[in-house]
Amino acid sequence: MQTRTEGAGAQVPSQKRGVIARFANMSALRRQQAYYAILFIFPGLALYLIFMVYPFLNTIYLSFTNWNGVAQTKDWVGLSNYARMFGDGAVLKSFFNNVIWVILGTILPVVIGLFLALILWSGARGSLLFRTLFFLPFILPLVVVGIVWQWLYNPLFGPLNNILDSVGLNHLSRGWLGEPNTALYAVLVAGIWGTFGFVVVVLLAALQNVDVSTVEAAMLDGANWFQRARHIIIPQIGPQLTMVTAITLIGGFSVFDLIFVMTGGGPGHASEVLATYTYKAAFVQNQAGYGSALAVLITVLSFISAIVFVRLREREG
Amino acid sequence: MRRESRQQGITSSDAPYGTPWLGSVAKYLVLGFFAALVLYPLLLIISTSLKDPLDVTANPFTLFSSFSPINFYDAWTLGGFGGYFWNTVVITALTLIGVVALSTLAGYALARFRLPGHNIIFIIFITGLMIPFFSVMIPLFYELRDLGLLGSKAAVILPAIAGAHGFGLPLGVFLMRSFYMDLPEELADAARVDGAGEFSVFWRVMLPLSSPGVAVLAVLVFFQTWNNFILALLYLPGTENQMLATGLYLFASGRTQDTELAAAGSLIMVFPVVVFFLLFQRQFVRGLTAGAFK
Repeated sequence: MQTRTEGAGAQVPSQKRGVIARFANMSALRRQQAYYAILFIFPGLALYLIFMVYPFLNTIYLSFTNWNGVAQTKDWVGLSNYARMFGDGAVLKSFFNNVIWVILGTILPVVIGLFLALILWSGARGSLLFRTLFFLPFILPLVVVGIVWQWLYNPLFGPLNNILDSVGLNHLSRGWLGEPNTALYAVLVAGIWGTFGFVVVVLLAALQNVDVSTVEAAMLDGANWFQRARHIIIPQIGPQLTMVTAITLIGGFSVFDLIFVMTGGGPGHASEVLATYTYKAAFVQNQAGYGSALAVLITVLSFISAIVFVRLREREG
Repeated sequence: MRRESRQQGITSSDAPYGTPWLGSVAKYLVLGFFAALVLYPLLLIISTSLKDPLDVTANPFTLFSSFSPINFYDAWTLGGFGGYFWNTVVITALTLIGVVALSTLAGYALARFRLPGHNIIFIIFITGLMIPFFSVMIPLFYELRDLGLLGSKAAVILPAIAGAHGFGLPLGVFLMRSFYMDLPEELADAARVDGAGEFSVFWRVMLPLSSPGVAVLAVLVFFQTWNNFILALLYLPGTENQMLATGLYLFASGRTQDTELAAAGSLIMVFPVVVFFLLFQRQFVRGLTAGAFK
């Protein structure tokens, strides 16, 4: 498309307005640069348009059809997929689970990570070793995290139940991933295990830039360690703190791998989230239209959480 | 490196703000608790991968109770992880080359050439940072099927380059454009005066100067592609081109009870990641924080 515009630019008279005219009025160097720009940008842009933008627009279109992925025709059904979504108990359950995941899966890693970063920063032997160790789970593939935590939760001979039994808490041991009340939280624990180290590393790096004299002054004024952290240190690492919060927050509505591997959304829909339910609707039940409407919902929710985050950051200045 | 040594300096000195944060004992108890929480599952994978099958059944969670390194050979051959490994290497390498090549070119052009409408093109690119994979995954499946790509390595590579798994062209163009905007234009002009064409200005002058940015981008793309699960799950339905993540998932959730082979397969997948991480730790963390608004 750009190439055509550029070619036409050579022929049209310069009084024409807009992009074409700007090409015609260019100096030789500028025109040569524009030519190279098209050459440099086109391959990437084409790939991006074909494999991202086009399917994205197609998702919006499909969400208004009842296409089953096979039929030749795609019948326009208006908003009925969206209407169905709001009456679908599994969607409500998934949404609720996503909200739990977003809240706990954001707050807990950030709080744990901040706490550990402060401890390491305040001076601990082997802090470099601890930092690297804490970060290791974050680089592991989520499939591996899921598999090893499945072993730990094993109802018959898993270590978690063994520990509970051996300290006399037999009544607490259970099939963590198999029971509706615990499945989601059991997966969430594995998720937190995989992310808190990232928070430690980012915040520890941020802490290196904290003005030490302000902390010393607060100490002389008799501030205890909590007051120092709350009023002196945390404000100075605000940007990085919002950043790690944002990363976990915005991803919260797209969580898929860990839940899919560990429970598949089950038992029933107990640990279902929108992403796993969308996958099932589209690829197990072949409801491409309904699945697309669910995909639009995920996109909208991710947008909203991104906007909320941007607002929060603006307020912090 | 510099940052590490600085930090070391703080921890070893008796920093005044350091003392009674928490009682010393409580401090190491907390650190030790989290260290154990991280270490036990990691050691469990390593130890299980080295156990003989009978011992896995008898003592599933005792660490290092037997030694049977043949598991790795069995996982590589019988378990099929050797094939998965090479598929993953090829897919990751081609995705990495594609993202780096196309986003340095486009990022450079958008930063340096005055093409009418370049701002609109840039906005179109970075919009991709806001598009979650789920909002393209369904039509993409049918698109790849119609193109005859479903089940081939290209079914993961092309969408990954385009940005489907999050660390493709949108992030690459964003990172590289801002990198090139910070490089002094005089260097390019000097090369032009010496008679270099626009492409050799890019190739000989600008690209080498941008290698720190390229390294950050390449490290991110490596991790994201190597660990990627859902692209392979959806678009490689056959087993022939299966990647490690999905191969491992299918193996562990299948009917087989070969836990020790699943553990060995996990380590086959994890080993390159850990090596890469230890080599490029700094680039990895810097890249993640740079692409923060993702």
